[in-house]
Amino acid sequence: MLARPMRSIVHRLLSRPLRLPAMFGPKPQPGDPQIFRFNSEREEIITEVVRRTEEHFAADPKRLLYALNEAGHAEIRRLAGQGDAEADLALGSWRRLVKRLGKMSHEERSDSLRSISRVMVEDIAGNFDPRVYNLSARLIPGVLTAVMNPMGLPTQLLAGGFSQLDALISAEGPIDKLRRLAQIGTLVLVPTHSSNLDSVALGYVLLRANLPPVVYGAGRNLFSNPLISFFMHNLGAYRVDRRVSAAVYKEALKTYSCLMVERGYHSLFFPGGTRSRSGTIERRLKLGLAGTAVEAFSRNQTNGLHRPVFFVPATLNYALVLEAETLIEDHLKGAGQARYIIDDDEFSRIDRIYAFMTKLVTLRSALVVRFGDAMDPFCNPVDDEGRSIAPSGQPVDPGSYVRRRGVPSVDPARDAGYTRELGDAIARVYQRETVIIWTQLVAHVLYRYLVWSTPELDLFSRQRRRGEVAMPREQLVREVADARDRLLQAEAEGRVHVGPVLRSQSPERIVSEALSAWRDYHTKVVATEVGDDVLIEDPNLLLFYQNRLLPWAEELATEETLAAARSIVNQGGKA
Amino acid sequence: MSAPPVGIVGGGNFGWGLAHAVERAGREALLWSRRPQRTGTEHIDLVSGPAALAACELIFFAVPSPYVASIARELGAHLDGGHFLVHISRGVVGDDLHGLTQVLRSETPCRRVGALAGPLVAEALITGGPSGGVVASRFPEVRAAVREAIGGPLLRLYSTDDVTGAEFASTAVGLFATAIGFAQGHGLGPAAQAMLATRAMAEAARIGVVLGGKHETFMGLAGFGDLLAAVAGDERPELAIGRAIAENQPFEAIGSIGGTYFEGLESAGRIAAYTRRVKLHSPVITLCAGAFAREIPASEAVAALMSREVGEE
Repeated sequence: MLARPMRSIVHRLLSRPLRLPAMFGPKPQPGDPQIFRFNSEREEIITEVVRRTEEHFAADPKRLLYALNEAGHAEIRRLAGQGDAEADLALGSWRRLVKRLGKMSHEERSDSLRSISRVMVEDIAGNFDPRVYNLSARLIPGVLTAVMNPMGLPTQLLAGGFSQLDALISAEGPIDKLRRLAQIGTLVLVPTHSSNLDSVALGYVLLRANLPPVVYGAGRNLFSNPLISFFMHNLGAYRVDRRVSAAVYKEALKTYSCLMVERGYHSLFFPGGTRSRSGTIERRLKLGLAGTAVEAFSRNQTNGLHRPVFFVPATLNYALVLEAETLIEDHLKGAGQARYIIDDDEFSRIDRIYAFMTKLVTLRSALVVRFGDAMDPFCNPVDDEGRSIAPSGQPVDPGSYVRRRGVPSVDPARDAGYTRELGDAIARVYQRETVIIWTQLVAHVLYRYLVWSTPELDLFSRQRRRGEVAMPREQLVREVADARDRLLQAEAEGRVHVGPVLRSQSPERIVSEALSAWRDYHTKVVATEVGDDVLIEDPNLLLFYQNRLLPWAEELATEETLAAARSIVNQGGKA
Repeated sequence: MSAPPVGIVGGGNFGWGLAHAVERAGREALLWSRRPQRTGTEHIDLVSGPAALAACELIFFAVPSPYVASIARELGAHLDGGHFLVHISRGVVGDDLHGLTQVLRSETPCRRVGALAGPLVAEALITGGPSGGVVASRFPEVRAAVREAIGGPLLRLYSTDDVTGAEFASTAVGLFATAIGFAQGHGLGPAAQAMLATRAMAEAARIGVVLGGKHETFMGLAGFGDLLAAVAGDERPELAIGRAIAENQPFEAIGSIGGTYFEGLESAGRIAAYTRRVKLHSPVITLCAGAFAREIPASEAVAALMSREVGEE
């Protein structure tokens, strides 16, 4: 077995998730979500993931040898680059393994694979402590309110609630139905991904809506803060180390997430993979780990367990995005080669989180979470009883999709086909369930003006036009009003949603608040008022916020601005 | 367990061709058509309604594209997720140029769907002459089921998971075959026809890639392979329609040559509108749309094609 590297106490504290002692923990009650039973099942789950991972590779001696070699070389490459004491120890183990591999028997190689995958799965596996859950249920609103607005805390406590937070984050969609479906089957939440705050915000929304907690894979970098790590780890998050590229690790991770859904743990996946760099709504989804929920359904059917799986698309619509500056910069730099892992963005800086929160709390509906209707793994809508509904309006047996000539089976190639279809279907729901927020609309109108004023420029030349183009404020207000009317028309046709502030406030106020929100949060000046004009200072952030409106850009335009809107749409496709 | 019968929707030449191919492969075929026109055989049963096709696993759709949605809706009420649907129609739907597999998915509960494309002709299917094609599906089991149902030593079926590419290539070939007929009608020789075919296919591939398809699909059986068969004279109606347009024959007369005229007219218009919208360069298809709809006089269309600026290939 590979030796576990020694770690200092400090390092352990910083990198290993803390848990409360298991003694005197509450016993799960009937009707509690499956996750309340996690700790009693944890060892069983880890053992099963290790068994399946071994089965996947060890059935074929050549495959096993290749997998061990590939893992060894990938880890040696990674750890050599990491260059710290911890890496050096692990490096030695991997080097010894690679050296011995050629002389090992098949059984010895299987043993090594088992040991390696065991270490990996132990690192992945989460934890769930009902005490932490109950504690956070009581604390989160207070903590968040305190962080966001300490002066407001006594008032909130005296008033007996946290209405400020309620006003800050609003949740829309068929929530009652989701509550019912959670009792019938396994929910798989598949939201858009804009910020590292998404999972925290969603967790809060689920708690407030009396929906069950979900398990989800969180990037290892999110565990670097011991306090956040403590809560995440004890609330069902499992660790995903994106630096590890070994196929054995990926297989173990996939198997873990599959097994969680298989066992009825409500789950959360971001099917876009990473945060949207450009600010656009994700259009082509690979699904990644979310695809394992399809396999989980097939496995259960094959084992005679007919527990439904419900995919629930959701959109998270922020007035301000914490990491906007880093994300759009990364997008423009890379345009296709953007960094997969960003570990130096605003999320890693407490001062930026604080600035963000303090600004956010002054806004009403700073985040609108909108749930779409649930669908089965085969893109069929489901009714209130959780039955899959065919286009004819009749129920259809979801088990029929994994049967061939009456026999259910687990077929990865087939399930990959379903997963692709599901990705397309979720992307369509994203567009329909997007909630347009006032900052996005103001950004769009300003950016459209910039494009209108500089028709001869390409994207990158235009993004350099800082402080050169000013839009008359009166025209900005007028165009925002007109674009809002057009959005409301699209909403009436069921093609998009309009956020509460954008719907209810005057265009004049919407413009003022957008300028103020950007000014108070972003380190870069987005746009400033100069006399009767609004001067465009940072086209990058405008591009980021307005990109959310790309699918509707043409219909929001007047005859005069149509060419600019088309140019934005085409540019959006390329950049 | 014996293999279930293979369903066929549509009693035209292609429907019967598929039924005979199924029969040759040693399977039972159930053919449903409102106007079957012919009588069944020992292994080809004519069924009177869609319910009977529920006994099949694989069902072919061999009906003109405008009828696919309504027939799929009627049939869909009798099917579930265990059925495989494969169409052979050319055509795109909606502003975003979706293929007909999308129609099958939205009108039925079936998800394991696919398309049969390439130089397959009804005559070869009926007689069993050497032929081939490509079966496109995201599901390997659908591709295998089609090969099992109709494939054989003389019917070579290749497969791809690029459904978007295969469906769009198939639609584009229909248009280009018409365009070549049109060029022939204007007396353009083989070199001009080859130039038209090559540039047109490059254009289709560009659009196909934007739609999510693969470039190589257009260079394979679903694209060039199919177009070569049309030019080689496999008697498909599109060439005759193209020549009739070149001769300025009235709409009705052209329509009577084959329903594909109206399908082509609609598809060309949709594709031209799409490329305008997303700013893709599509001179051949835009001219096809204009010429088919008689918005551009035939002589002007030929002149416009030949006078385009020459660039890098």
